[in-house]
Amino acid sequence: MKEFFLSVFSIRKKSKILLYLNLIVILLVSLTFNLSAAGFGEGKSNPIDNPQKVMVKGTVTDANTGEPLIGVNVVAVGTTIGTTTDALGKYSLEVPNTSVSLQFSFIGYLAQEVAVGGQTTLNVALTSDVAQLSEVVVVGYGTQKKTSITAAVSTLEVKKIATTPIANLNNGLGGRLAGVIFRQNSGEPGKDAAAIYIRGISSIGSTKPLVVVDGIPRDFKDLDPNSIETITVLKDAAAVAPYGVAGANGVLLITTKRGKTGAPLLTYNGYVGFQNPTILPKYVNAYQYATLRNAASLNEGNPPRFSAYALQKYKDGSNPDAYANSDAVAELMQKNTLLTSHNIEVSGGTDRIKYYGSIGYLDEAGIWKPTHQKRYNLDLKLDAQVTKTTKASFAINGRQQKNTYPAIGTDRIFELMQYALPIYPVRFSNGLNAAYPYGSIYSSGYSNVNTSQILTQLSVEQEIPFIKGLSLKGTVAYDPTVNLYKTWITPVHLWSIDTTKTPYQYIDGIFGQNKSSLTQSISNATQLTFQASLNYNRKLGNNNIGVLILFESKTNNYLNFAASRINYNLDLDELDLGSSSLADISNSGSSSEEKQMGLVYRATYDYNSKYLFEASGRYDGSYYFAPGHRFGFFPAFSVGWRLSEENFIKQNFSWIDNLKIRGSYGESGALAGSPFQYLSTYKVFGPAYVIGGNVTQGITPNIEGNPNITWERAKKSDIGLEATLWKGLLNIEADYFYEKRSNMLVSPNVVVPKEYGISLSQANAGIMKNQGIEFSVSSFYRISKDFEVTLGGNFTYAKNTLLQVFETATTYDNPNRRLTGRPLGSQFGFESLGFFQLSDFDASGNLKSGIAVQPWGTVHPGDIRYKDINGDGNINNDDITQIGDAQTPQIIYGISPNVRYKGFSLDLLFQGAAKASLYGNSGAFFNNMNVLVDDMNYWTPENTNALNPRITNSPALNNTQTSSFWLRNGAYLRLKSATFSYTVPSNITQKLKIQNIRIFVSGQNLITWTKLRNYDPEIVYTWGGLNYPQQKVVSIGLNVTF
Amino acid sequence: MKNITINVNSKITLLILLIMMMGFASCEKSLEVIPKAQISDVSIWNSKSNADLFLNNIYKDLPDVTVWRQGTSAEDPEENFSDNSMNGVDWRNSRTIYAKSIYTPSDYINHWFWYSSIRNCNLFIEKVTASSLDDTWKKGRLTEVRFLRALFYQMLWIHYGGVPIITNVLDRYTQGDAIFYARNTSDEVFKFITDELAAIIPDLPIKPETGRASLGAALALKGWCELFQASPLKNPANDKSRWALAAATNQNVMDLGVYSLFPDLPTLFFSENKNSVETIFAKGHVAGTALGGLAIHELQVPYVRGLYSGNGEETPTQELVDEYAMANGLPITDPASGYDPQNPYLNREKRFYQTVIYNGSVWREDTIWTWVGSGSKNTLDLANNSETSNTGYFLRKGLDVRLAVNWYQTNGADYIIFRYAEILLNYAEAKNEASGPDPSIYDAINKVRARSGLTGLPSGLSQDQMRVAIRRERRVELAFEEKRWLDLLRWKIAEEKLNGSLHAMEITKVNGHFVYTVIPAPGGERLFYPKNYVLPIPQSAMDQNTKLVQNPGY
Repeated sequence: MKEFFLSVFSIRKKSKILLYLNLIVILLVSLTFNLSAAGFGEGKSNPIDNPQKVMVKGTVTDANTGEPLIGVNVVAVGTTIGTTTDALGKYSLEVPNTSVSLQFSFIGYLAQEVAVGGQTTLNVALTSDVAQLSEVVVVGYGTQKKTSITAAVSTLEVKKIATTPIANLNNGLGGRLAGVIFRQNSGEPGKDAAAIYIRGISSIGSTKPLVVVDGIPRDFKDLDPNSIETITVLKDAAAVAPYGVAGANGVLLITTKRGKTGAPLLTYNGYVGFQNPTILPKYVNAYQYATLRNAASLNEGNPPRFSAYALQKYKDGSNPDAYANSDAVAELMQKNTLLTSHNIEVSGGTDRIKYYGSIGYLDEAGIWKPTHQKRYNLDLKLDAQVTKTTKASFAINGRQQKNTYPAIGTDRIFELMQYALPIYPVRFSNGLNAAYPYGSIYSSGYSNVNTSQILTQLSVEQEIPFIKGLSLKGTVAYDPTVNLYKTWITPVHLWSIDTTKTPYQYIDGIFGQNKSSLTQSISNATQLTFQASLNYNRKLGNNNIGVLILFESKTNNYLNFAASRINYNLDLDELDLGSSSLADISNSGSSSEEKQMGLVYRATYDYNSKYLFEASGRYDGSYYFAPGHRFGFFPAFSVGWRLSEENFIKQNFSWIDNLKIRGSYGESGALAGSPFQYLSTYKVFGPAYVIGGNVTQGITPNIEGNPNITWERAKKSDIGLEATLWKGLLNIEADYFYEKRSNMLVSPNVVVPKEYGISLSQANAGIMKNQGIEFSVSSFYRISKDFEVTLGGNFTYAKNTLLQVFETATTYDNPNRRLTGRPLGSQFGFESLGFFQLSDFDASGNLKSGIAVQPWGTVHPGDIRYKDINGDGNINNDDITQIGDAQTPQIIYGISPNVRYKGFSLDLLFQGAAKASLYGNSGAFFNNMNVLVDDMNYWTPENTNALNPRITNSPALNNTQTSSFWLRNGAYLRLKSATFSYTVPSNITQKLKIQNIRIFVSGQNLITWTKLRNYDPEIVYTWGGLNYPQQKVVSIGLNVTF
Repeated sequence: MKNITINVNSKITLLILLIMMMGFASCEKSLEVIPKAQISDVSIWNSKSNADLFLNNIYKDLPDVTVWRQGTSAEDPEENFSDNSMNGVDWRNSRTIYAKSIYTPSDYINHWFWYSSIRNCNLFIEKVTASSLDDTWKKGRLTEVRFLRALFYQMLWIHYGGVPIITNVLDRYTQGDAIFYARNTSDEVFKFITDELAAIIPDLPIKPETGRASLGAALALKGWCELFQASPLKNPANDKSRWALAAATNQNVMDLGVYSLFPDLPTLFFSENKNSVETIFAKGHVAGTALGGLAIHELQVPYVRGLYSGNGEETPTQELVDEYAMANGLPITDPASGYDPQNPYLNREKRFYQTVIYNGSVWREDTIWTWVGSGSKNTLDLANNSETSNTGYFLRKGLDVRLAVNWYQTNGADYIIFRYAEILLNYAEAKNEASGPDPSIYDAINKVRARSGLTGLPSGLSQDQMRVAIRRERRVELAFEEKRWLDLLRWKIAEEKLNGSLHAMEITKVNGHFVYTVIPAPGGERLFYPKNYVLPIPQSAMDQNTKLVQNPGY
């Protein structure tokens, strides 16, 4: 070992990375060394050496129902011998002697220890842990008992969502956890991650929560759901304080599965799902389109565009090449695309070594063939009790992911799709491509992303023998990610038709570039995280003391390199085969680095598990800021009182199993804006300008620097209540929270003229508050031993208010337009009074006097009339007012009933959102795009209460002003997921020598109730409104444990 | 064995403690990250080559049809606001907003961004003046920057009239409320621009590196501003001395003797003829780089060989077509011209065929049909609802058929800001207004005509006849070079030309013969109010500087 220490000292001058790598090696080597040393030292368990071995058998049942319990861990205390109960609740175990005790443990039940004595049959009845008295919850840098926690924390057991057909874990959280506001705005494979806002939006800057996987900051959305044990949401200051500058937006803690003591278990999990878009816009057919165009021309006093002959042709479809009736959405989007997932996991272990391995495969088809995602996940874990006082854990989580897309961007395809009018064919009757989106999807080349990621982690924990309760732990995690991008763009052939010739002539043409081009790039990201901690836990009489001190440092490095060639003469997608002309070759590259470090502390004290106190926090530093401004201190305090432990409750209210009130206050931080804003510098770019016929570089000034720039600071308060009543019949957890976020980056509160000519650096001057309530309720009722009903529900309401932001006098001085005092993202515009009606005009067609003048051209009956808020007789910017809420909902709720009867089980999740406003499209023929069926409901003298204004060949400027007319209520309720499963009775599985078989049918986004027409309520409106749709999935699956 | 265990334990303990210790060591320093690709103030102004890169960044902002010329978008150049052209796409700003003159201070055209370029100029002047770089270099570069600043102010002046003149770097820390400037008058801005130019002209080289400011460019800019200042919009009393001044400055350019007319007008705008003898100042483009020029598909015929390959975003109007002379040099209004309204495209002057695609023209080896009933998708858009032409014509000028359709940055042609033909026409106009027709005027205008194969103007024209001839020549020669809209403004004839409807040529076939009818162009209605001679000051600028006063009527 001496050499290792020498090497540690000798490399101090080298780079930190090398040092860390060395440390990994050292830890690995010491681990192996210890393993072998330990194995050498303790050979007692060898049965040959022990003649007194005894075989113990028995059945483990539920104390309440008498039902056998499957998968209970049975371990001989103090040895490595253990097993689990089978499908009939039976176990048998050979123990070294009769003086040992057996420990029976099972999730959701109180563990029991029974001495073997002279018995060979030990039947045990376990009591279910209704009050979850023994439940352990993952918290920042550790675990705590659920009952003694004083912070606001919610946990989701991922088992519940692993069988629902979702490719991306992000999308499994909505409606499951109190305090999580979310919005999934795309269904595109690989790009469909929902935005998650813990307790809503509390900042005008980034609102992304910190995601921590197995203690290390990492992304989780592409992990295999099957390999995840729990997802925990840390919400209040007491919970997030250990994360310092990264914690203000809340923290998601992901805990992946590890091996458990017991016989090896092999489990298969898999499903096949069929995906279809949830909601698609309904577009008109060719005849309706032509009719609508003619109506528009008539309105404008122009001759009709389509003759009666053409109308008839569009109607009868007798000449589809010249008079098409196409539906690009239906023709281009495939139906029932497949989503497949398979997973095999093996786990088991003894007291000394536990192992877990999992391989997952996911295959997700897109709505068109070129869009596809394949993902392979591998998860390996090893936990070793190296010596009596030393634990070592080792984990590798690898991911290989391949996403393919058409070479033309998805947004562009959806934009093109809106230009695919029904009167033009998507393909001619001979199969030739006739529409841009068709070629863009199917023959534009490809754009591939290959991601390889390995999350590696090693930790060693050492109890200090001479101080009871003290342990030290060191963890090193190194996570390299490599993305390989390859985009091959080929000329898109597009045929057109010459109808003047007989037979019709089809002419080949090229849309876009004439020759192929290739771009390949590599981005490499590494994260090195490093933690060392000191943990002290001691029970002294009725006093429980816990102390954690942890140091963490994190370094991220990024590197990009790209090369491309254009004008391929040969259509082979290799860089080397591209044009050799220097003008056709280009490359680019960049790199960056991030550094962060912090010192975490947590001290907990409780008296008799009744009065709970905790102080935690972090002294945190980041590379973002100027020297001297890099470190900040983020403390939190919390208290709890377990009333249910008081005698007056115990004696008088026996129906109260657990009752706790708790409160917390603390501060945490958030990085905002971008790094180096403290510097006032110039940026080099190129090419800038042509001098002497050559392109040259340029230097451009950045914004004015602000040396005092610092982090956002969040002051969070929370009051919560937890209760378990009537032996689990009712579980309640409710919280009120209040956060004041200050130091948000805003334009400085000085007005400089536009003539100033340069953007001012931002200043830490924004303040906003965010408050709300959240609660979750669950109820479990066992009607008989075969019939159980569970009902869960959660509700989150978070409303923010801007208290201080940058505003010009124009908005601030107008109470209708003032941003301060309103929620972030509130939507402003004119207030619609409906349509101008014929009665608003005099005989000569002029607006009657007294009606406010609208400045966007002459108005006609059927145009939108706006409210003259200030009554000055003119509609202008002074009449703008708040017309709606933000896009992100303020309320999210979930209701999850579950019924189990014998082997049948039905799990439902209804999820809803409210208090959100979505801005709609702005009328027929907007930018000459396709027309919705709804657009046919337009204003005419006979239809004065129409959905849309009078029809014109492009929307009148008057009618496209931002106004309440086009604003829609974004509230919705959807059957987010539903699973119906059947577990094959154990007497059948027993015969098959299989522990457990479960068959299930599952669905995602099955039914949606919304007032919104044509679009999914979660999709963000982009230009024209069409976007990659959310998917409705129905799947069948199988779950087998051998 | 127990000994070993303890030994190992204590080593692990030690190791972890060691790790923790190392972590705490030199925290502040270990957070130091050097941002790459950023340069400090010091290093820029101490090096000529670095300062030159900053200057390149100022040059980058030169107006260009692809980027900034019209303050809106490359697809909708200012030409579409004039009576020369209509956008074939009916939802572009020129059609929906500018045609109806319903723009407001919050609307699209916003030229206030020039103040960002002006700040860069002021910064360069301040820093370089204070630097210890060598004086010759300094003098040269400062001259260039002052030229650019004058050019940027000119862009503001022609669009807004009076604007704040700011010649130092505004600094909110040291200048306090002094950073808020009121608008200077239009005359003050004009004086500032021309004084600046007059001051630097002696120091400018005649033949600098291409792309850099030259003596000719500065004179051309000065002459243009003087012409604008002499025109009816700015010179209601018709002060003849202003015209004389403009004539003199433009004559200075002619007297330099380095510029002449390039013999072949159509290819003047193609990449092989950049920096020709006619080019006075141009913004450079290099094909295949991010500095490639305008993609031609935005402007060209929508359907070529049946395939959708352009947007037709600039289509010539009948008004413009009627301005082209006959090949014999006579305007079509002249009874002796031989113009046949039922065969209107026969025997027209060369520039007509070089500029306009009409019914039966060949483009990219395809015959373009616009007649009603042809079945072609390029047919005149009578119902005003497709992207094809609403006038019956398409643009040819400046579009290079050798370039791929719908593919950006392959165009290596420069964007010409000033060329010699404009100087000749500027001179002719100014001189005629100042003192009536004289041989030098005939000489200037006839040079332009001769290049396109036209005979000289008939002698003995009156001042008014000459004015008509010059304006027609100017309109035809400089069509689609973003001059017409400004000419309509400065001649104060926009009210006359842009109230009513633009016109289209409807062609039908009767008994196998084309029948030509001039009709109001579908969607070609135009409105123009007196207030529209200047743009409204952008509301965003008004909001942030209470000293600014809005232009009347907005």
